[in-house]
Amino acid sequence: MSATVGLVLRVLFLVFLYAFLGLAVWMLWRSVVSKQAKRGNLAIPSLTLISETDGEPKTQTFASVEILIGRSQECDFVLRDSTVSSKHARLYYALNQWWFEDLKSTNGSFLDGIRVEEPIVVKDNDEIYCGDAIFTISIKPIEQ
Amino acid sequence: MAAKTTAQPHSKQPRLLILAIIFLFFQAAALSLADGTRLHLEYLKPDWMTFVPFLVWLGAVLLLHKAVRERLPNRDPWVFPIFAALVGWGLQTVWRLSPSLGQKQLGWFLAGCVFFWLGLKTKRLSHLLKRYKYVWLLIGLLLIGLTFFIGVNPTGSGPQLWLKALGFYIQPSEPLKLLMIVYLAAFFADQIKPNITLLGSLLPTLFVTATAGLLLVVQRDIGTASLFVCLYILMLTVTTQRRRFLWIIPLAAVLAGIVGYFVFDVVRERIDIWLNPWAQSTGNAYQLIQAQIAIAAGGLAGTGPGLGSPLFIPVAVSDFIIPAVSEETGLLGTAAVVLMMMFLVVRGISIAQSAKTTFGRYLAFGIAAYFGLQTFIIASGNLGLLPLTGMTFPFFSYGGSSLVTNLVAVMILLKISSELAPEPLPEVVRKPYRWVAAIFIVLFLLVIAAGSWIAIFQRETLLAKPENPRWVVYDLYSPRGKILSQSGDELAITTGEAGSYEREVLMPALSNTIGYTSGLYGQDGLELSQYDWLRGYSGTSYDTLWKHQLLYNQPPAGVDIKLTINTALQNSADALLGDAKGAVVLLNAATGEIYALASHPYFDANTLTENWEQLRDDKDAPMVNRTTQATYPLGTLVNSLGLATYYNHPQSAKGSLPEAEGGQDAFCKAASQAYGGDLNGYQSGCEEAALNLIQNLDPEVFVTQLEEFGMFDAPVFSLRTSAPTNKTDPALLETKPMSVLEIQATPLQMALIAASITNDGMLPSPRLRNTWQAEDGTWIPFKEGVLPVQVINSIAAQRLRKSLIGSDDAFWFQSGHAQTRDGSILTWYIGGTTEDWIATPLAVAVAVESNAPDLAQKIGSSLLSLFAPD
Repeated sequence: MSATVGLVLRVLFLVFLYAFLGLAVWMLWRSVVSKQAKRGNLAIPSLTLISETDGEPKTQTFASVEILIGRSQECDFVLRDSTVSSKHARLYYALNQWWFEDLKSTNGSFLDGIRVEEPIVVKDNDEIYCGDAIFTISIKPIEQ
Repeated sequence: MAAKTTAQPHSKQPRLLILAIIFLFFQAAALSLADGTRLHLEYLKPDWMTFVPFLVWLGAVLLLHKAVRERLPNRDPWVFPIFAALVGWGLQTVWRLSPSLGQKQLGWFLAGCVFFWLGLKTKRLSHLLKRYKYVWLLIGLLLIGLTFFIGVNPTGSGPQLWLKALGFYIQPSEPLKLLMIVYLAAFFADQIKPNITLLGSLLPTLFVTATAGLLLVVQRDIGTASLFVCLYILMLTVTTQRRRFLWIIPLAAVLAGIVGYFVFDVVRERIDIWLNPWAQSTGNAYQLIQAQIAIAAGGLAGTGPGLGSPLFIPVAVSDFIIPAVSEETGLLGTAAVVLMMMFLVVRGISIAQSAKTTFGRYLAFGIAAYFGLQTFIIASGNLGLLPLTGMTFPFFSYGGSSLVTNLVAVMILLKISSELAPEPLPEVVRKPYRWVAAIFIVLFLLVIAAGSWIAIFQRETLLAKPENPRWVVYDLYSPRGKILSQSGDELAITTGEAGSYEREVLMPALSNTIGYTSGLYGQDGLELSQYDWLRGYSGTSYDTLWKHQLLYNQPPAGVDIKLTINTALQNSADALLGDAKGAVVLLNAATGEIYALASHPYFDANTLTENWEQLRDDKDAPMVNRTTQATYPLGTLVNSLGLATYYNHPQSAKGSLPEAEGGQDAFCKAASQAYGGDLNGYQSGCEEAALNLIQNLDPEVFVTQLEEFGMFDAPVFSLRTSAPTNKTDPALLETKPMSVLEIQATPLQMALIAASITNDGMLPSPRLRNTWQAEDGTWIPFKEGVLPVQVINSIAAQRLRKSLIGSDDAFWFQSGHAQTRDGSILTWYIGGTTEDWIATPLAVAVAVESNAPDLAQKIGSSLLSLFAPD
């Protein structure tokens, strides 16, 4: 009797213990999903990059919050130029602005002739050099 | 952002908290029934005291919950319930391990709750912490410094890391951990990047950390010192956003280990234990080994609260509390604890990333890292992943300073979580936090993996180790099987009541054979060799076994076994041998069933505890079973063996059998006189007859024959036997024929040889176990795998018996003597029945440790003629 009741209590202990953990994980999952949904709904000013390497104009518009720039095919925005590092730089949206960050590229990135050492805020019509490659940033304001 | 999450904690926190209350209630309830379960009670008799920690915890946590809800509406919804679950579980565990320490721990918990509440009420707590960072740091260091002068150790010995104030012991290194984090967070938060070089931010903090670390190292608190170094490096990594700093931790650990190995004895000891714990399983590594066995005993789902034996781990309540949790709640329980800590750490790091101020961010990160490091370091030490460093497991381990510090840390974390930054941090800044979180997740999973390895894969191996003392507890609660004689007389039984069962040997003279079972001195004899049967692991259906393990964490009542011992013959053998030192073995020559096994002097297993020291130091060795463990020189018993060789291989002899002259030496003369004066030299064990005989044999053939008789093998038997002697080199017999007399043999071996002579050359395998009782009451014979072996042909056996015939044609025998290594004389007697005997064929061997041919002959011949089948 004692043992049987004890066994039932032990099983209930483990069941509720894992129910506790399960609920905690589920809640966390829900919160991550809802945060992502919120971020997804977040109005981001759409960003267009225009480059003119090899004499061929290339225009690409992005909806993501982070854009990787470089020579490698994995990059979101590919610059075919030998002076561009494979993962050269990135653009990301934070604190309501677009930021540009050089990813320790070999030949560096330049805005208005100044080498980019730390992440900087970029605005519409900024021209950025990645090595010898150049591209223009076009930011469309959010339509209210 | 802040506004959006406002609604969440209100709905989430109570739900989680309710589940925590429910599972802890069930644990408390299961614990309250544990004593009744161990005793197999048929009614419920809860021990209400086990609800004390639960109720105190419940009251305090509900009050705190209310306070937290009012003051911090936007807090992180996970931290409080997880903290509450961990601390509640910890309090119940400490109480279960030691109710008196449990009471103290509850007191500390309530004190911690007061601090928690005061902290909640303090407005601008964060500001105060930051502003007076040097004050906090100094207080912490001063307290540590004080331990150099007025430090004590509550146990009376060991490192003096505690301060005693108003009757309480405080370990200043615990609050120092938190004060250090506050200082580092405040210092780093004040650094404004462009103006400060790396060196500028490194030097002051490095100096402070090194000072605190050195103070601790000098005080031999190496665990806390290493925690500080790791904490510092982690904080440096996130504040400078340099991932490469992380590599310093393993490098520094290896370097510190190597240096420490040669500088500090403590470190060397710990590393040696870590590398090879089994080498010192009863010494320095005892605690670690017992911890691993406890984890193995828990297996997947644990023994059940209160049903395990975690108190076999010394001081389980502090550093080794996780193995104790593991034994009773299993891998599932331990994994849950580790996962909860992981959750807390990950939430802490997440809180850091969204903290409103830089100071809050660093502080929250520091607290999360403190929980993470402390958990990993002690858990991996418990599991043998890393060398052990004394440290408390957060929220669980007994210790007031640690518990109060943990509570305050959680309160600070909650406060930080309630004030969020308006915008998420830039990705670059967040990245190092993610690395650290990922590293902690990996480390914690590693801990769970190591726990699984011990609890699941190593389980059987570890539980079977002789270092596992759990059988002592099983013996108290579940009766061992009886040991009976062949006719069912009780030889050893279990007496007393469940919870205090004792073993009683009803035939004390047979103690050397039955052996003993004692929590202090272990097991021996049949109690050891038949443990699986007597303890019910063998001979019990799988259902019964499984049911008992699951319900009670005990093996079922043991299986009764019948021996081949004949009580009347055993009593006669004991009476005949009397006060003489020596051994008697009487057996059925055809089947090898042993009817009597006497070894004198003997001990009484019932008074083992009282007499242990005396028995152990007695030079007459009463604890040795002389029938199987005494190695006596063969002496002139070699005559029988030589004759057997001659009759078995007459063609290989160098000549015809020499006439045996009787009565040449004093000993064989005495043997002959004891008989009546007309024995030939072979039968009375004359040395001259032996010499003539050996010289007449081909040494190769002789040694081979001895080997076939089993002189150089230990017989397969249910009792421990002495190691067999090395095979004699035949070449030695050419130069030193009498060296054959020094070959060692046990009385059991000689009785078996005698049996082969009686049994027409078939050497039986000895049997001491006869039958075991199945659950349906039937007695089932033990299966003994070894078949009799033909060692001499039947004609040779017949001729041998004839040449050793006694006055009654129904018996043969030989007297012999030997000189032992210490120069004393040993008297032998072997004998058996002949074809003229109409009942069970018998064989006997007698060894008396003195010159007593009359006594040996009397014992042997009386036992042979006394025999009456049951």
